[in-house]
Amino acid sequence: MIKENNIKFIFLSLSLLLIILIFFFPFFWIITSSFKSPEEIIATSTTIIPRSFTLEHYNKILFNSDFFIYLKNSLIVSFSSMIISIILSVSAAYGLHKLKFYGNKFVEYSLLVTYAFPGVILLVPIYLLFAKVNLLNSYFALIIVNVLFATPFAVWMLKAFFKLIPNEIEEAAYIDGASRYIVISRIIIPLAAPGIASVSIFCFIISWTEYLFASILISGDNLKTLPVGLAGIVGQYQIDWGFLLSGAVLASLPVILLFVFIGKYFVSGLTEGAVK
Amino acid sequence: MNKLKSFQHPYTRGAVNSVKKNNIEGWLFVSPLVIWICLIILVPIYIAFELSLFNVKIIGTSGKFVGIDNYIKLLGKSKFLNASLNSLYWIIGNAICQTFFAFTIALTINYKFPGKKIMANWIILSFIIPTVVVVVIWKLMLSSSSGVINSVLIDIGLFDEATGFFSSPNKAFISLVLINSWRWSPFLALIILSGLNSINREMYDASKVDGANFIQQFFFITFPNLKSVLFVLGLVGTLLSFNIFDIIWLITKGGPSSATTTLPLLIYETAFTKFRISQAATLSIITSFLLLLFSIIFIKLMAPKEDD
Amino acid sequence: MNKILLFFITILFSLNAYAVTNVTFWHMEGVPHRVDRIQTLIDEFNSANPDINVTQEVQNWGEIYAKAPASVAAGTAPEILVGIPDFTPILADMGAAQPVEDFVAELDSKYGFYQKALDQYTYNGHTWAVPLWNMGLSLWYRKSDFEAAGIEPPKTWSDLKKAAKALTKDGVYGIGLPGNKQLYTDQTIYSFMVNSGAEEIYNSDGTLRFDNPQTVAAYDVYKELYQYSAPDAANWTWGEAEACFASKGCAMILQFTVISTYDSQAGGDASDLGVIQIPYANGKAHRAGTVSYVNSAMIMTADEAKMEASKKFLSFLMEPGNYGRFINMEPGLFLPITEAGSQDSTYWDDPVVVKYKSQVETMLDNSTRGSLFGFTNGNTFTSISSISAQNLLAQTLQLTLIDGKSAKDAVSEGMEIMTEAIE
Repeated sequence: MIKENNIKFIFLSLSLLLIILIFFFPFFWIITSSFKSPEEIIATSTTIIPRSFTLEHYNKILFNSDFFIYLKNSLIVSFSSMIISIILSVSAAYGLHKLKFYGNKFVEYSLLVTYAFPGVILLVPIYLLFAKVNLLNSYFALIIVNVLFATPFAVWMLKAFFKLIPNEIEEAAYIDGASRYIVISRIIIPLAAPGIASVSIFCFIISWTEYLFASILISGDNLKTLPVGLAGIVGQYQIDWGFLLSGAVLASLPVILLFVFIGKYFVSGLTEGAVK
Repeated sequence: MNKLKSFQHPYTRGAVNSVKKNNIEGWLFVSPLVIWICLIILVPIYIAFELSLFNVKIIGTSGKFVGIDNYIKLLGKSKFLNASLNSLYWIIGNAICQTFFAFTIALTINYKFPGKKIMANWIILSFIIPTVVVVVIWKLMLSSSSGVINSVLIDIGLFDEATGFFSSPNKAFISLVLINSWRWSPFLALIILSGLNSINREMYDASKVDGANFIQQFFFITFPNLKSVLFVLGLVGTLLSFNIFDIIWLITKGGPSSATTTLPLLIYETAFTKFRISQAATLSIITSFLLLLFSIIFIKLMAPKEDD
Repeated sequence: MNKILLFFITILFSLNAYAVTNVTFWHMEGVPHRVDRIQTLIDEFNSANPDINVTQEVQNWGEIYAKAPASVAAGTAPEILVGIPDFTPILADMGAAQPVEDFVAELDSKYGFYQKALDQYTYNGHTWAVPLWNMGLSLWYRKSDFEAAGIEPPKTWSDLKKAAKALTKDGVYGIGLPGNKQLYTDQTIYSFMVNSGAEEIYNSDGTLRFDNPQTVAAYDVYKELYQYSAPDAANWTWGEAEACFASKGCAMILQFTVISTYDSQAGGDASDLGVIQIPYANGKAHRAGTVSYVNSAMIMTADEAKMEASKKFLSFLMEPGNYGRFINMEPGLFLPITEAGSQDSTYWDDPVVVKYKSQVETMLDNSTRGSLFGFTNGNTFTSISSISAQNLLAQTLQLTLIDGKSAKDAVSEGMEIMTEAIE
């Protein structure tokens, strides 16, 4: 027994070390680097603990670029995509889970299989299609696409959360004469709330990080999202690494802040909510 | 093959099962999403299919109808073969790496240790940042002149001199697989973790009594019980990693020597740097077909039986 | 005279259409201070021309090759699109870019374009874009490095090889040369080709003449020099090369400019920064040249009023007094493309240009002798877009640098790939 615990301990320490090095250290390095002087960032002798400290990169990006416009756009697009995705997926997941209708398995698998059509394939046709219906250069263009990428997986995750809700509760409500609408809004949604929260965050992240479509479907500066804006403020012939790094940190900061407040729901929602 | 009875979770064992087949209402619930997705996928696919039957070069110009000519020509092209192989290696490489990382993370976080909460909350960091940021991070980290990885590896004596992580075909490919796995593994880990949490603790206790060690536990209890989670991760994960475009495009543009040109990159290149939009459409249709085929086979073979 | 003409045009416009003519200006200079400078000029123009409203929309180089044709196809193209020579034939082929030879001739008579500038946009009997500014590749180094090594800055390829070898020492790469399949690599390898007499890619009948001994010589010397380059050069673009130079990791690099990085990130000692013409093959001094990129504006609308408005805006940018400020959106990078522009005091007054005056003069001098593959001596065919957009010069280079083929085999294989691409 003691021996096994020792092995366990060694395994645990090793994997912890590995995880910290691989998954956390890059962030430490990038964040500290974004405060380094330009000379130190590109120096051939790389420093892990910074030797210099400057806010010039942040100053430049916050006050000399359209950062806040990009931020606003990303927030609008991501929140709207999230809300629409959640409404559509909750409805679909409930339908798939509780109402066993003809073709439900087919729909369920087909949803997952939508990922079989790579974004690159859809790019040009979607551009042409959106041009026809006058959707180019609008938030809605991006929202439509983001919902497409987020919902299939969202439905699958939600379905798993719904499965955890004991049938008796629902049954009891019906016996008391509740309508389907009441059952969903008063019982299903509140009970699956942690799960819905984590799925919402998933949808938000998918929209927040989307690059390809945002770069093609939007051409006006006033509608660009953060990833596209960030890619654009870097010149073609020169790279201002400090600028780029502080931009990278700032582009991540909003989601990280979001995570400070609701991250634990995401993780606990996912991990305790038993995806089955 | 409709299962009329819903799958019963252990928690709900003994529940009155009164789920009825409910066609109209069921479709009503799923139809908004289904219509949304169909519109945004089927119409573009149709446009792409139409394009693939012509020989349009630049999008927006007109071309001659050539029937299935594009398809016949394409299948013999070495570029197509090369990209298909790259895509295959890409999927396999990512599957191995991500499985390894994801299980390491999930199993580690599943244990109790100080700081576990913080780690569980923040391990997802690499997944929530924009791809563009991922690219910035790794381009700088792996740079041979000012990258931290090279300098650390030299300091601890593993390397004599700085190495170019994207300089040779193999190195570039492996570096990209690792970067992509870095991005996705934590998310997969959380999903696996949720699967782990749903496994009945009693099974572990029982196996301990039987003298099983924790490695045996992993292979005989943990792994089999994750089947349905792993099924979806296997399906969606494969499709998603096949589709990865931006990370590769932003870091290597498919190089060096086309070593990292997977099918999505080849499609993009054909359409927008070679200006052969019809060929790109043909590639798209073939690719979608292959992926659909894969999905159907995967579902037929691996779909968990949901009856109890 | 002009003012009277403008006045009349304005009158005519106000008679014909009371509405404001909208002009959308797409460009890819997204660095915030460049966007600001362009906006300043646009604001000046708009307030001087109440009947026209110019708006800028910044695009990314990464996606513009996909986006511009798509926007044309969808009818959402801008009125003015800034581009590089490689890109124009595609839009000309699509019928999107409008011929502008009359307008260019008018500007030419006023400001005098450098002859080589027009080469890059004149083919199929028309001029397809209005040259805006120039960029030419030069060899950059630190004078102190050469003094310390006791050698002279290189003039010929053999000097260059010697210098690269002598300057390679502990932790410093003698010369930073890129090796990836990217525009930057196209440019560096072509700057060698120019200097060995292989600047022509096409024969006059439109067939390729890429596979010739001069090209092979250029690929050969590149391969030899590449061993003195940094290990991750296979994945470099301009920015990494610049960083390598600024951090003293690379002793020499081929670059359009290093001035702004050098100034802000490497101490900025102007007297130590050396820049010279790209070395030439031994015995080819008369060939001395470089690769240059004339950036230009395509007019993408056939609508009469919009076209006039676009021309008016472009004339405004080219006018001395505005022009210097326009291209100094990135001082020390963009070079004047007209005689008048090169004497514009607003160009030379910029503090960065003042500080690095001798370097800028050398850059300017080099750039006027620059040429671009596929756009030489009138042997220009629109199929060049397929070669440049796919970076086939660089791809050919990878055959020898990465796959280890001999320069000769690589060039002959490259020729096959190009032949297939232009079909």
